[in-house]
Amino acid sequence: MKACRSKGSIVFDVIIYIIMIFVLLVCLVPFLYMLAVSISEPKAIINNEVALIPVGINFEAYKQIFAYPNFFKAYGNTIFYTVVGTLIALIMTTLFAYPLSKKSLRGQKFFMKLVVFSMFFSGGLIPNYLLISSLNLTGTRFAMLVPFAINQFNLIILINFFKSIPNEIEEAALIDGLGYFGILRRIVVPLSKPALATIGLYTAVFFWNDWFNGLIYLNTDQFPVMLFLRNIVNGTSMLGDAAGSADKATIAISIKSAVIITSTLPIIILYPFLQKYFVKGLTIGSVKG
Amino acid sequence: MKKFISLLLVVTMVMTLLCACGKKNTDNDIVDSSKTQKETEDQTNNEADKQKEDPVKIRIYYSDNATLPFREDWLTVKEAEKMFNVEFDWEVIPIADYQTKVSLALNTGTNTPDVILYQSTKGENASLALNGALVPISDYSDFTPNFNELVKDFGLQDTVDELNLADGKRYYLPSLYDIPFYDGGLILREDFLEAEGINAPKTFDDLYGILKAYKEKNPESYPLTILAGPRVLYRMTMPSFGVSLGKNGSSGTNTLSWDYDKEEYFSGAISDGYKEYIGYLAKLYREGLLDPEMADPINGDIWSQKMATGKSMATYAYYDQIGGLEGSTEIDGYKLQMYPSLEGSAGAHHQPKSSTGSGIMFPAKTAKRDDFERIVRTIDKVFYSEEGAKLWCLGVEGVTYTEENGEIKYADELVNSEEGVYKSLQIKYGCGSDVTQMVWVNSREMTKYDENYARINKEVADMGDVIQPIPPTPLFDDMKSEDAGVLQTPLFDKFEVWADAFITGKKDVEKDWDAYVKEMKSLKIDEFCNLYNDNLAK
Repeated sequence: MKACRSKGSIVFDVIIYIIMIFVLLVCLVPFLYMLAVSISEPKAIINNEVALIPVGINFEAYKQIFAYPNFFKAYGNTIFYTVVGTLIALIMTTLFAYPLSKKSLRGQKFFMKLVVFSMFFSGGLIPNYLLISSLNLTGTRFAMLVPFAINQFNLIILINFFKSIPNEIEEAALIDGLGYFGILRRIVVPLSKPALATIGLYTAVFFWNDWFNGLIYLNTDQFPVMLFLRNIVNGTSMLGDAAGSADKATIAISIKSAVIITSTLPIIILYPFLQKYFVKGLTIGSVKG
Repeated sequence: MKKFISLLLVVTMVMTLLCACGKKNTDNDIVDSSKTQKETEDQTNNEADKQKEDPVKIRIYYSDNATLPFREDWLTVKEAEKMFNVEFDWEVIPIADYQTKVSLALNTGTNTPDVILYQSTKGENASLALNGALVPISDYSDFTPNFNELVKDFGLQDTVDELNLADGKRYYLPSLYDIPFYDGGLILREDFLEAEGINAPKTFDDLYGILKAYKEKNPESYPLTILAGPRVLYRMTMPSFGVSLGKNGSSGTNTLSWDYDKEEYFSGAISDGYKEYIGYLAKLYREGLLDPEMADPINGDIWSQKMATGKSMATYAYYDQIGGLEGSTEIDGYKLQMYPSLEGSAGAHHQPKSSTGSGIMFPAKTAKRDDFERIVRTIDKVFYSEEGAKLWCLGVEGVTYTEENGEIKYADELVNSEEGVYKSLQIKYGCGSDVTQMVWVNSREMTKYDENYARINKEVADMGDVIQPIPPTPLFDDMKSEDAGVLQTPLFDKFEVWADAFITGKKDVEKDWDAYVKEMKSLKIDEFCNLYNDNLAK
């Protein structure tokens, strides 16, 4: 169907496109600059010749990062935390959210209040540390995975999504002889892919970026890669503060850029595949049920 | 109702079950782990008694610097373990978060290591120490004969005693320097001086002349720039004017300075020395000789750009940084040189330096280990004995260096390496890391650098008291410390505002000086000064 478009609507579209392109550039340009700097010749960087296109090709910065002892092990750790952590989080959040989405469940309101309360008030660092160490989790990989499995915000999104699934489907399934667990597994979860993908992405990004919990609860060989990358980037800010005869050699900006590229690339690659679920999951999930 | 009661029952049952399981497990674990630990310790001790060869196991925190990443297979580490019969369990923690990890371990007392490297009792650690989180290592001086000997040899007894806390005890073994290094200072383009036929600068007036000459040739430039923030410039130049103030001022007071002759604090922020100093900087700024971006933190990369492109020709920075710049500039004949401290109204001085640095701490839990004495004795040997000190500084004789008649010769591979002896030794072998090297002998260190650096250091040493000691810290109790804090904050805020205004010309150093002094006095700078002087250790 060819709709007659008014002049006003065309102008409106053009303005929208211009704004969108501007926003796109704002996001893209710094990233391209980082990429260019990370693979340019150091001489060109110091003489301020690099803009968006790399000058000369030089992979020294990447070589240096990859040569960092334990870099690949740490990267493996991060992938492990992200995959296993997200899985645990999805399972636990689903198991918690499904009952809470049933208004008929007694005490549902009370548990909801508990969830919301703990969203705003937490024990703080030291009590948390003591709790996790008294559970004998410090120094084990579970310290990264279990305590952060249920995030209240994600939980509420999922509860609302579950509430939006028509009750009649579940009733029909009940009549056909499915139990509640069967309904959850065979009907609710498959219908909730968008919501699960959304909170899955949130959780994956959380686990991917998390360095602090790794720092305080884990031992060196279990550290996530972000901790190393953070150290490389922050290493330069300690410059000038060091006393005595500390090593004052600068780390080139290209290393910092390479670090940023190395750490964000996987999420950027993952994002387009989840994008389609992302918008749907978030909007539906946040509609009040 | 019936449904509700049954639900309640089920919930209670499940909760009880869960709690019981949890408790049981935890208890078991605790019993098990302590039992195992005890068993292991007993075993270790018994066997250690039987045959002394068993290595002592020490869990140790190491602060990891991104520019020198720790490797467990470093020659120094392997050799130290072999040489001193010890098995280290290294916890390598990034330097940016080191303090957080240490603080958490000491505050909670759980998951603490046996030994913590690269710490001192400044700041939070002092109160942790006084509250019993650390071993007062000065009580166990019998266990540290090598450390004691070095302190005596270097003549540092008084300096080390100043590290005692309010209870008269010292809670860490500091690293020791026989003579502090001149490792950074005025760095400028020697090729420019040669081309113009200008002599090396000796005074701040000479520096002014050089900057002015460069500005005339390059009107677009700002000849003097800084690295990291103005504090590096301040702390390296102010002492020549008899003061040491501001952020990173050596006294830590921010507005007071130490009078080395009278051995007391004075109100440095309103002294004539400071007036002259700030007037000098204002003049440089007014004439476009000082980088107007100096108030911002200038990181290493921007700094390199400014220097390499000729936008600036002089700076205050560290000697190590010269090489990288010379290699990357495109200016023909570019040559940087570091110069000894320039002479100001109070003589030629550099930033005051301590002869002690960060060192080794023992958490209170370590003292409960049956082999505590052996741990301390081992640590003392590993880091402070002559063999240990040489190992962490030079590496292994026959591999990294050879010594003939007291003269040190490095392996060809090191001498011919691109990065130079110092850097290669660090990266390949783990020598010269601030974290593990506890003994710094100036003459020994100088063998690692090029002749130029050794020459400058010698020149500086010959000039006399260029590098003065760090002023003593008063022994405040909690109340006094609170009082000092209350006085210090507004004084320093005002000082910063005025310093910025003076340099940038918003206020005139001559005309507005009295108003500034009046304001600082109304904020009780004299009272603040008295508080410091009254609480110095007599």
